[in-house]
Amino acid sequence: MIKTDVIIIGGGATGCGIARDLALRGITHCLIEKGDFAAGATGACHGLLHSGGRYVVSDPIAAKECLDENLILRKIGEKCVEQTGGLFVRLPGDSKRFRDLFLRQCDDVGVPTEVISSSKALELVPNLNPEIEEAIKVPDCSIDPFRLCMLNMTTSLAKDNLVFTGHRVTEFIQSRGRCVGVKATDAATGEVREIYGNIIVNATGAWANLVAALAGTEVPITLSKGSLVITNHRLTNMVINRLRPPSDGDIIVPNEAVCVAGTTSLAAQSPEKINIEASEVDTIIGEAGRMIPHFQNTRIIRAFSGVRPLLKSQKTDSREISRGFQIIDHENGMYSIVGGKLTTFRLMAEKMVDIIMKSFNLRRECETAHKPLDGQEELSGYPLAKRLIDMKNIVCECELVSRQAVERVIKQTGTRHVGDIQHRTRLGMGPCQGGFCTFRALGIMQDLSVLSPEQSMQALHDFLQRRFRGIRYALWGDQLREEQLVEYIYLGILAMEKQP
Amino acid sequence: MSLIEYDVIIIGAGLAGLTAGSSLARQGFRVAIVTTGEPTACLSTGCVDLCSGLASPLENIRQLSSYHPFHFIDPELIRQTLNNFSEAVKEMGIPYVGSPDENRRILTALGTFKTTCLVPVTMQASANNVQEKIHIVTFRGLKDFYPSYIISRLKNASFSVYDAGVSTTMGIAANFEQEDFLEAFICWLGNIEISENKIAFPAVLGSESAAEISKKIEHQLGRPVFEIPTIPPSMPGRRLFNRLKNYFRKNKGFIYWNWPVVGVEKSGKLIEAVVTSSVGRPNSLNAKAFILASGSFVGGGLVATRDTILEKVFNLPVHIPGRREFWFEQNYFSVNHNIEKAGIEVDSSFRPVNCLWENVFVCGGILANTEILKNGCGNGLALCTGEAAAISCAEYLR
Repeated sequence: MIKTDVIIIGGGATGCGIARDLALRGITHCLIEKGDFAAGATGACHGLLHSGGRYVVSDPIAAKECLDENLILRKIGEKCVEQTGGLFVRLPGDSKRFRDLFLRQCDDVGVPTEVISSSKALELVPNLNPEIEEAIKVPDCSIDPFRLCMLNMTTSLAKDNLVFTGHRVTEFIQSRGRCVGVKATDAATGEVREIYGNIIVNATGAWANLVAALAGTEVPITLSKGSLVITNHRLTNMVINRLRPPSDGDIIVPNEAVCVAGTTSLAAQSPEKINIEASEVDTIIGEAGRMIPHFQNTRIIRAFSGVRPLLKSQKTDSREISRGFQIIDHENGMYSIVGGKLTTFRLMAEKMVDIIMKSFNLRRECETAHKPLDGQEELSGYPLAKRLIDMKNIVCECELVSRQAVERVIKQTGTRHVGDIQHRTRLGMGPCQGGFCTFRALGIMQDLSVLSPEQSMQALHDFLQRRFRGIRYALWGDQLREEQLVEYIYLGILAMEKQP
Repeated sequence: MSLIEYDVIIIGAGLAGLTAGSSLARQGFRVAIVTTGEPTACLSTGCVDLCSGLASPLENIRQLSSYHPFHFIDPELIRQTLNNFSEAVKEMGIPYVGSPDENRRILTALGTFKTTCLVPVTMQASANNVQEKIHIVTFRGLKDFYPSYIISRLKNASFSVYDAGVSTTMGIAANFEQEDFLEAFICWLGNIEISENKIAFPAVLGSESAAEISKKIEHQLGRPVFEIPTIPPSMPGRRLFNRLKNYFRKNKGFIYWNWPVVGVEKSGKLIEAVVTSSVGRPNSLNAKAFILASGSFVGGGLVATRDTILEKVFNLPVHIPGRREFWFEQNYFSVNHNIEKAGIEVDSSFRPVNCLWENVFVCGGILANTEILKNGCGNGLALCTGEAAAISCAEYLR
């Protein structure tokens, strides 16, 4: 049995942000996540740190929040934010009136803008469609959601708070009508842990209503699916937005060596088992291709989909529903925090923890807006300079990751999840999507005795199925060719079976 | 119009193209192969899978779906093709063992067993069940081979590690071709206490001389030795390709290496030449007949776009298994992905159907409805359809 002050359910940006805020304010807590960090909508988004520009017209309040948080995150999270800057580009036929409204609203909200000619824009981003009318420069940035979550957890872990990833909350422990704890089941072993806390925070995003139901209550959200695609090239060094009311496929974000483009917005029934339609992929490629023509011929290495939890309203088009967030007091010891955006996760956490402090009758100001994220030095990625030094014994040829780098992560973190190595080194993020190197990384984990041979067989099996879920929607051209090769290797040469 | 005219030009230097080429060249035809580079055979295990399943390969073939191109080939011809193959590789110094009447199981680098038919002699002694007592020798830092995967299934296995100074499959294989290296290695191996009755190696025992090298080790240690195929680059696959390539050349065949076909010249119902982009200027190569053996997607014979699937040399009609969203199933481990059926449909003379050309024949992985993964028929299908297409082509030329 474990006792703590606050139980956080959900290891997305919101949950991890709450953990950091609690840690800085000296409140003990325990975070429970059913999969891995950033496994839900947090990890399945553009990785765009909004300047606010996208929302100035439709939702100025949300836009202002984005702008403020953008400034804060650039300061506290130097190592997981890339200050790319962004452009809103106006294509022939896009409304000039919207452009004027956009600029006026940016001024009102305070989003700094600079109108630049198409030739100046082409200088900044040579791959842009040369036919654009003009572009407006804004301070958009690119952010790594995985790293963001892990950096937030660093503070929490340094103060010995407990974290259970791979644990699903299966039951609320109730006493006199109040939730006093949860039972969480370890997905790997089936072991059930009882965790008691004074307050429970449901920060499970699209799963919020399902979790609330376990506690006999509900959270009024609708679900909206957004799909995105990843290219194998960095086609732009700046975030590219379409200067028009938010629609499908109008954002392209550079991230390390690749670009992420999206999204679509379709109503979803469930946060799990979401499929991507071929037509969604075609729409994104078509629309992104209007801003960057090269997009049409570039190799797409993967498509993925996230489910946004949106606050329920009467409107039916989910893009119109407010992206503002809400904290619901279920008046049974549990709060649910829903809605919001990756960009505003810190603000959401602050508001949540303010409420928690008040209910504990404690006073301590929030520090998350000023203190740089802990652990940025160790988690500062695996820069090219380091990769070149490690060039001997490359295990991931696509992203130049060496055996030494893999061993370093295993030794530093003691991790048993190949995903942790991937997030920290970019192993498996290139065109073959881990087809060759995961077999090797899991072999190295056996060599270092962090996994038993049986566990790594199972892990390899699970990885291949998970990987396929993403690339299945991007299979044509060279990516299909590569995929067939990987399939011949595992199912032909290695005669891998359906079950290990 | 070029000055040289061949009887047959084959597009693709994989197992299908080389088999067809050698067969025609041995009958005295002037044959050239045009290729963009190394074939997918180099990525394969080097084994000849004929048809997996519960019964014998020939019986399994009888039970394949009625669309399968194997049904165009008489069982006697399959037998004859494998005999020809065995004789050719024996002549070239890498004997194969096995027969079309029997499948065999060989140990893989994951500790599973792969069903196949003919195997290089270096895999003859392969473990074929989880009870076998084997000792695995691997090499320090070798990134494509981890004995612990095997030990997770073969509980009676153990392993030891040798430092070969390099960590890649090809690097170690090259070392084994050196007399001194081999001697030092055998000396090291002799000092290890091994209680198991077989010794297994990842397939790195020499770039070309694996048969002799494994025999030498076997002789010194007095117990059977076998190789376990690795993920690409695969030495047994390369050895096989090199031998068949040399066999083709030995029979006076000519290979245009790195000459991608960029167009064709045609007249009426005949293809007259393929245009290739060589260094400097395009070149036309004329022939009386053409055999397309350019492989499936991996080999580059088929190209998928978002909307369709194309064959780009002759622009032949491609059998497309539905719209893009139906090409793959959700389950990765399903071997029933529809994409495996994509390819060129042929008639019993291995001419493409629904197409004008009278002097074009098709063989190998580019054929439709082969479902190579599901049926376990990769290299065997290449050999047999290569031979069959060559026979039809020879009849046409006469």
